[in-house]
Amino acid sequence: MKASIHLSKVTLALLAALPIVAAASQTTPIRGLQDNSSTFVAIQNATIVTEPGKQLENATLVVRNGKIISVNSNNRAPDGARVIDATGHTIYPGFIDAYSNYGVPKPEQAERRSRNVPPIYNNKREGGNAANDAIHAQQDWFQSFANDSKAATPYIEQGFTAVQSARLDGIFQGQAVTVSLADKIANDVIYRAEAKHFGSFDKGSSKQQYPSSLMGSIALVRQTLADANWYESAYGKDAHNGPVEFNAALAELTGIEQEGMVFRVEDDKTLLRAHDLLSQFQVPVTYVGSNYEYARIDAIKAANSKIILPLNFPSAPAVDGVDDDLDVELADLRHWERAPGNAAALAQAGIDFSFTMNQLEKSGEFWPNVRKAVKHGLSKDVALAALTTVPAEIAGIADKAGKIATGYMADFVIAEGDLFTNGEIKSVWLQGEEVSLKPLTKAVFAGDFDVQIANESARLTLKDGKNVSGELTVGEQSNKLRNASRTDEALQFVVDADFAGVNGAWRMRLNQIADTSYRGTAVAPDGRSLDITATRTNSTEAEQDAADSDAVTYVSQLTFPNVAYGQTALPERVNLHIKNATVWTADEAGVLENTDILVRDGNFYRIGEDLSTPRGYTVIDATGMHVTPGIIDEHSHIAIDRGVNEGSEALTSEVRIGDVVNPDDIHIYRSLAGGTTMAQLLHGSANPVGGQAQVIKLRWGATGDQMKLDAAPPSIKFALGENVKQSNWGTTFTTRYPQTRMGVETVIRDGFTAALEYAERKAAYDKLSRSEKAKTAPPRTDYRLDALLEILNSERFVHAHSYVQSEILMLIRLAEEFGFTLTTFTHILEGYKVATEMAKHGAGGSTFADWWAYKFEVYDAIPQNACLMHEKGVLTSINSDSNDLQRRLNTEAAKAVRYCGVSEHEALQMVTLNPAKQLKVDEYVGSIKEGKHADFVLWNAHPLSAYAQPQQTWINARKYFDRERDAELRVALVEEKQQLIQKVLGSSASDRNGSGGSYKQPQPTWHCDSEHDVWMDAFALDTHNHGGQH
Amino acid sequence: MKNLMKAVFAASVIGASVAATAHDMVPGEPQQQPILLQGGTLYTITNGIQEDTDLLFAEGKITAIGRDLAAPENAQVIDVTGKHIYPGLIALDTTLGLVEIGAVRATDDQDEVGNITPEVSGHTAYNPDSEVIPTIRYNGITHAQIVPQGNLIMGRSSLLQTDGWTYEDAGEALNVGVHVSWPRTGLNTAWWERRSPEEQRKANAEALAELKQAFIDARAYYDAKQAGELNGTDLRWEAMTGLFDGSSTLFVHANDKRQMEQAIDFSQEHGFELVLMGARDAWRMTEQLAAAEVPVVYGAMYGLPSRHDEAYDQAYATPAALAAAGVNFALSYPGYWDIRNLAFAAGNSVAYGLDHATALEAITLKPAQVMGVADKVGSLEVGKQASLVVSEGDILNHLEQDIQWMFIDGSLVDLNNRHMQLYKKYQQKP
Repeated sequence: MKASIHLSKVTLALLAALPIVAAASQTTPIRGLQDNSSTFVAIQNATIVTEPGKQLENATLVVRNGKIISVNSNNRAPDGARVIDATGHTIYPGFIDAYSNYGVPKPEQAERRSRNVPPIYNNKREGGNAANDAIHAQQDWFQSFANDSKAATPYIEQGFTAVQSARLDGIFQGQAVTVSLADKIANDVIYRAEAKHFGSFDKGSSKQQYPSSLMGSIALVRQTLADANWYESAYGKDAHNGPVEFNAALAELTGIEQEGMVFRVEDDKTLLRAHDLLSQFQVPVTYVGSNYEYARIDAIKAANSKIILPLNFPSAPAVDGVDDDLDVELADLRHWERAPGNAAALAQAGIDFSFTMNQLEKSGEFWPNVRKAVKHGLSKDVALAALTTVPAEIAGIADKAGKIATGYMADFVIAEGDLFTNGEIKSVWLQGEEVSLKPLTKAVFAGDFDVQIANESARLTLKDGKNVSGELTVGEQSNKLRNASRTDEALQFVVDADFAGVNGAWRMRLNQIADTSYRGTAVAPDGRSLDITATRTNSTEAEQDAADSDAVTYVSQLTFPNVAYGQTALPERVNLHIKNATVWTADEAGVLENTDILVRDGNFYRIGEDLSTPRGYTVIDATGMHVTPGIIDEHSHIAIDRGVNEGSEALTSEVRIGDVVNPDDIHIYRSLAGGTTMAQLLHGSANPVGGQAQVIKLRWGATGDQMKLDAAPPSIKFALGENVKQSNWGTTFTTRYPQTRMGVETVIRDGFTAALEYAERKAAYDKLSRSEKAKTAPPRTDYRLDALLEILNSERFVHAHSYVQSEILMLIRLAEEFGFTLTTFTHILEGYKVATEMAKHGAGGSTFADWWAYKFEVYDAIPQNACLMHEKGVLTSINSDSNDLQRRLNTEAAKAVRYCGVSEHEALQMVTLNPAKQLKVDEYVGSIKEGKHADFVLWNAHPLSAYAQPQQTWINARKYFDRERDAELRVALVEEKQQLIQKVLGSSASDRNGSGGSYKQPQPTWHCDSEHDVWMDAFALDTHNHGGQH
Repeated sequence: MKNLMKAVFAASVIGASVAATAHDMVPGEPQQQPILLQGGTLYTITNGIQEDTDLLFAEGKITAIGRDLAAPENAQVIDVTGKHIYPGLIALDTTLGLVEIGAVRATDDQDEVGNITPEVSGHTAYNPDSEVIPTIRYNGITHAQIVPQGNLIMGRSSLLQTDGWTYEDAGEALNVGVHVSWPRTGLNTAWWERRSPEEQRKANAEALAELKQAFIDARAYYDAKQAGELNGTDLRWEAMTGLFDGSSTLFVHANDKRQMEQAIDFSQEHGFELVLMGARDAWRMTEQLAAAEVPVVYGAMYGLPSRHDEAYDQAYATPAALAAAGVNFALSYPGYWDIRNLAFAAGNSVAYGLDHATALEAITLKPAQVMGVADKVGSLEVGKQASLVVSEGDILNHLEQDIQWMFIDGSLVDLNNRHMQLYKKYQQKP
């Protein structure tokens, strides 16, 4: 009891200190006198936009006790209401921002880990939290919400009355709260206590190592959502190792399928990735977009989700200096031009979206940017919906806000003029109380006036701005006004004049009494007061935006991807007759001179001499040219977004390169230009069990998903040696197990053992009776172990980064012990030392042609490695592991001819058929054989010679590269770039400066051991020096 | 007799290879007797391609080139019918012998501490027993320029033969010039760059100021020295005096057009002999480079485009563009173990438009000119040193390059190497 008295004293003190009106709260005790001021207000003579597309003229809005009690079109106010005349004004529903950090704690600034600080692998466990510091799902942000008038002001000034808010930090950020921005206690302003869950892929302030990559974040979301499903059915039961733990984060996530998420993404690609992921768990999602959505509008339309758009358009790239264009990419110029048109593009596609203030540099840029979006073709109704009905739905308050309707909260905006062109917000009403920004009525003191003073006529010319200025003309005599100043209602000034025969300094005051008529007082130099009447004859108030309102036209191309050399459309599939070529089949047929190929329905159909051309076939005269199968790269790191390594933990088999395929990567195009048509995108080599790999065809222009070759069976990267034991990572990385090759063996062994026991548990659970199942927790789905189990079941195939003979042999014996076959040792520079053992096991080898000496474990690497492995029966390929070498694997293969005399035919197989076999797709690709995919390259010379140049590269009978077309593109892009630079140079400061938006970050050249925390933007070691590391 | 000699000679070469598997390669002995290469295709560089021609050398020098040369008494005669003879390839812009294993710091002597280190000389740390060196000889490289690395003024380079007991023994020309890594001029847009454009511009300007100050100090030192007014010796500025008396070349490593423009203006102002190294953007300023007669050592024949929007083959096609505009250029392949790709990379320039003969010249005579040793090496001419290689076929083409013999100053060079040794060893593993 004592304690509660004490508490209420504190509360009292707080209430006295804070200027919070708690009148509407029912439970807050009244101290002092009651406040029963009338809240009954009628706003008359207004144009009321009740919702987008619907408006009433000369209507009356009646509010009471914070709510709208009627919207009358008859323009009659009820008795007893305070009447406000809003003639000439428009009332809009209050705006709602569905993505905000208002009234809740701000995230701590994420710190970049210094190289001298040891990595952090574990988080502090408290309150039943998740095992990862980027997961804050247990947070219900209403619990720490408090109003914050300072933070509310910038919102209110732009017309916002409500926001959905959470701390914007981490991957699962907790459940947002939707609140009014009214300056009242939380109890009164919380509109929806438990609104959407917020999330992103950015681990935010978490200093924990995992996840260090985008694919790691995706994997963490996947595992966490699966865990939430498991927890729902498991909590309260016993697992194999004891009672199921209490987990506050998972408990909160069990309802996410109903509650939904607001999920922030960096760009169009990540939106699609997030959608693939979250839709698998039936989580309804609204994305916080990037204004890059227009670049993949069809795919984004198919995601069928709402989008919250920031209006932080990017600044134009600097192009003023004579050489500045050297540092500017066409893609950025294009995006600068089109980002303000993104909203219009979404509207055109029928995608619902709302606007947010979030990410804007200055709140004052909000309306200019909305207007910019309108100028770029967005309809005003859709723009209004983006501020009202759409965010109301997203924030879960469509039943009480977002419209002007009886029973809705009295949250609205009174504006003069059309807000979407040049109107002005006069006042914002929050829960029936006005925040006045500007007076509803303000006298006009600009223009030309006919003035009558003491029956004499004069002319007054006024300009209004920061200060009022002007002159008074009597007869021929003009004099400038002095000391002119104005209030909302009146203007006063001093002027030298001669009226009524009195010459001297006159003091005058004018008030506006009707649209163009004014009345006032003039005090003569002799002290007499005289009446003034005046009529405004014209207005000099600028209609300055008239010239700007022309529709925006674009000079930039929109291609797929939207970068230089992008495609305007995906190439058509063509039936082909290739005539009279030297055909390198890379198959049993060998090399065929003067040979024709027919390509039908995407496949090689016939190969032979002097074939006749079927009707409708396109003929390619390949006389003097060579045709080879498309080159296949077993080991590639191109086309990967935001991290090639989830290098944080020793086993990360749950992460998937397939989640982060980057279709925008220019190296796809460059590799096509080098004759490469297919690549296995591998996880890096930072850990013994890395992530799942992804085989793609280099379908330049397609989306990441469309590039994937579904026929390729699942595969995974393993790694051994220096990289995984962190030998070259500096002195702080010395604590993760393993630090020796001995430990590498045991950590992999432990993983497989755990996977087997996991499988046994699942099988045992499946055998339980219904009643036993009711008492027993189902085994938790563990994606990490699932992938290992797939390996043991020969459903997923291992490509193991390896160098030295002991580790190669170790892995072979370990695999044999666990009963599976290793598919390919990649890099495998000492493969020649254990080629017999590899061949006997059945493992392939995929090697660099001639790399060595860049680290100790490659000191015994030799360029004869491919030959020795091949001679001893190892299925051998040559790979790139490099965006550079991937463009010229033909001459890399030729090095096997140079250094150890393999036949040219066999050398070509090392970059075509053999890698196809290693990827287990040789049924479809890898050689020119009837029935296989028509993936091929036309060369102008012997394809393995130093002098060969690919002329055309085809995938599934679609031409993805053509040197002639490339030549045209070069010319066109220079022209387009110049036009865009001209546009930048000719544009207004506001168009050039943007509002703090950013461009897509160029992705680095990923190497095997690029151990980079993409969220902390920190490198474990310096990998961008000459030659790189592999 | 001739055939017999050939057989004997071939056997001795092969015998040497086999014997060498157990130990290091032994530097070639000074030429003991005249050697006549009979019937080869000579890529003379200075005098075209001469088919079915003989080449005679004695005491380390080429003494005759022509058809049906008479073999002097006691000459070794080697039948090279159908084979190709080239001047030894000269690899510019390398760190050969300065680093053995990239990731092992103890083996790395490439980069001295400090931004202004003209006093260091590449040859002083050159390890003639580096396992890397024999592997690059295998691809026809007889000489390499050893360049210290670093920031701003990196040090001085020397041209060394790729066979020798010591760096003195291998020295062809020591301390040829001073190497400057020109400060960045453009903006780094790479993702790891965290500085704002303003911060970058400021840092770029500061680096340029630091560089220019070093030259002011070096000049002041030189002038004071000429006048006998020095307080004492300063090794840094001492190392740069050759730039002011014209005995030394200024090598500027620069890839961006703006860097190269600044470097040209700078060296014209000072009257330096300038060579541009790297020079990726040279294609953007070919007329300027030709007019200024600045030699360019282009180093990106296999390069990725420097910028996103550049054509995929821009780096490949740049040598052809330089040739077409009359720019005086050589080709290099910067690196150490990977410089063995020099000839293939030159071949790639041919694939993208460069004339084959020009490509060859750019890795033989042009580098010799850049290093100031064109009177001794770089072409097959009577009176020049017998530094040459014999290949089964076209040295620029992977499919044909097969170096049979290499001579440096007439000494037969062992073409065996660590890779051959391991290859042969593991061929024997069951």
